[in-house]
Amino acid sequence: MSRDGMLDLAGFLAMVRDGLGMDLTEEQLAADFDLLPDWDSVHLLRLVMLLERETGRSVPVRRVLQARSMREIHSLLTTDGTETR
Amino acid sequence: MNAAGGDLIGVTAEDSDWAAVREDLRRYGTAVVHGRLADWRPRAPDGPALRAVLGRDWSRYRAIGHPDIRGRYAASRRLLKHAAAAALRAEAIDLELAYGPTGRPYLRGCDQIDISLSHTDDLLLVGLTSRGLIGVDAERADRSIYGRGLARLICTPHERRMLSELPEPERNPSLVRLWTLKEAYSKAIGQGMQFRFNEFGFGPEDRRVQLNRPDGTAGAGDEWTLRTLALDSGGTAFVVSIAVYDAGMGRTLDTAITTMLDAEAVAAVQAALDAERGEWSQILHN
Repeated sequence: MSRDGMLDLAGFLAMVRDGLGMDLTEEQLAADFDLLPDWDSVHLLRLVMLLERETGRSVPVRRVLQARSMREIHSLLTTDGTETR
Repeated sequence: MNAAGGDLIGVTAEDSDWAAVREDLRRYGTAVVHGRLADWRPRAPDGPALRAVLGRDWSRYRAIGHPDIRGRYAASRRLLKHAAAAALRAEAIDLELAYGPTGRPYLRGCDQIDISLSHTDDLLLVGLTSRGLIGVDAERADRSIYGRGLARLICTPHERRMLSELPEPERNPSLVRLWTLKEAYSKAIGQGMQFRFNEFGFGPEDRRVQLNRPDGTAGAGDEWTLRTLALDSGGTAFVVSIAVYDAGMGRTLDTAITTMLDAEAVAAVQAALDAERGEWSQILHN
């Protein structure tokens, strides 16, 4: 993926669907993880690995692990919270 | 008999011989194909041919703004549907990709084969099996994971001990292998049944790979077949892992859509239609 391109919500959903096997709606992006069906902390680790692979950037692991929703994690990617590898 | 398939099968968007896919399904019950993103990316990204292949995924595809993710979304589904169509002796445009309650992708109405998809960089990977469940995963062989504090989240205590005893240059490649195995296994079982990655493990690659408990003892029987292969695609080295769960029903030797109907049921329906046709014929001629 281009390191300069903005990751829109639909692209983020597609990435999560293919990478994690989670078919989320845009509404579920904003939901607390506790409200997502079958959500488990193992998904966060897989998500970190997926995002680093797809964006070519180091993801701030601690901030991802502290996030409470997919939208929060998406925001981390689209702000200055990441560093180029 | 290797339930996780034979060699990885390279396919291109044009002029591929899909017979190898059918042959591997017949021989092993499993086939794994790979292609290149640059080759499978649609030439007409808004054309009717792509729309026909994507089917219900078309609206999702159109909503993706990022061109790279959009291209990969289309390319991966083109490869998946063409590979599945080859296995089923069907047309790619007639197949519909759907997602089950545990997040696993499947082909609606075609439960004779299970599918799995992975893509990384320029590599697209699709696994097909008639044995039960399949998960595939690929990573660049040079991906740096070890030494970032992630091993304790990824590995069981036994695996961490195993890694620490390896010569330093072998630790990262071994961790990449373990990661792809765990991803492939997780994809096969679906997210609803996942375990933490440090709660299940795998042994070293110099012996038959089996699912282990955290202490390194065997955690499952012969129902799981797991393997890792090296792949060079376009000059880049990848690590590919495959996990296949054998549901114990044997290989389905003929996966074609048209032959999956029970022969007796087809005969009964045909007889009923013939009888009805006969009755109408009598009515119309009297």
